[in-house]
Amino acid sequence: MTSRPRAFLRIGPQQWSDTWAGIRAVAPLMPGAVLFGLAFGALIRVAGINAWVGNYASVTVVAGASQIAIVEQLRAGAPAAIAVLTALVINARMALYSAALAPVFAAFPRRWRLGLAHLMTDQSAVVTLQHAERWPDPVRRRWFIWGASGPFVAVWAMGTAAGIALGPVIPDSWQIGFIVPLMFLAVLVPGLRDSPALVAVAVSVGVVVLGRELPYGLNVLGGALAGIAAGAMVPRRAVPDDAAGGRSPGDPDAGPEVAS
Amino acid sequence: MTAFLVFTAAAIGTYLIRLSGVSLLGGDRELPPPVARALGLVGPAAMAAIVANALLLDGGEWRGFGAWHLAAIVATGIALWKRSMGVTIAAGAAAFAALLLAGV
Repeated sequence: MTSRPRAFLRIGPQQWSDTWAGIRAVAPLMPGAVLFGLAFGALIRVAGINAWVGNYASVTVVAGASQIAIVEQLRAGAPAAIAVLTALVINARMALYSAALAPVFAAFPRRWRLGLAHLMTDQSAVVTLQHAERWPDPVRRRWFIWGASGPFVAVWAMGTAAGIALGPVIPDSWQIGFIVPLMFLAVLVPGLRDSPALVAVAVSVGVVVLGRELPYGLNVLGGALAGIAAGAMVPRRAVPDDAAGGRSPGDPDAGPEVAS
Repeated sequence: MTAFLVFTAAAIGTYLIRLSGVSLLGGDRELPPPVARALGLVGPAAMAAIVANALLLDGGEWRGFGAWHLAAIVATGIALWKRSMGVTIAAGAAAFAALLLAGV
């Protein structure tokens, strides 16, 4: 048998199926990304910023909270340097995802590392971290990560485009801002099992609320760092396989138990 | 024009941030176990920080108790029970919509 597997767009069926697994893993978060994109797009329109610049922002910065902060700084007449700095402080947490993803990306070719880094969002980074150990083959793993990050960025960009085109169509009374804590609760809570993670969560929440007066969203960065430091000091109990929820590293087809 | 330049600078800076850990900690060497353990907590700690900031606070002030908190409690309960991201979002959104309709 020498017949090659059928390839679509010169991408093999295995790669398509691994990409699809990544899309499925992040799919429940996609409606939230669209809504958030709509909100950012509407803000661009209300602020009177050029439509192309708004769309350009969503595909180049790819970080909604920082983009909203930039628009608000510009509307308030802040100097450009302050607007940029604010955005970078808000996005500094990405360095943490980047560090955590380093071992996951280590075996990838350089162009994959450079490309996947640009597509890194809170959601896709954490979903990737939750699934990575089930993808021991680096080739299949990178296609999974591409599936969990590329289409997610695409729907975010499409949400932005729709928001810019339509303007503020969602009534304020719907309070769609709730999608932010809801999305991240849905990523966080189902995977919470061991005591170091619980301590990290508790300390992180405590520092965030104590630091609520800090500017530039520094309380979020400080909370994450303090949570990591505190959780790392807690010994991890050895958990038998059953108690760990039947995780089966090495079998990506076992299905995402954390994030289905 | 200012907006274009500001977004461009933010995009370049953010890309360098996204690349930082991947390039500095990448490669074949094994990370020391304490570092690896700390990196395993990045997800939970960062998610918790974002949730706390968006849910409990509102622009640097405490958020008044109401539909946000109640729907988040429902979502957390469902998440612990079902251990599923999709079910959690659906339940949280439904609870929030119901609370808003009920005028909470």
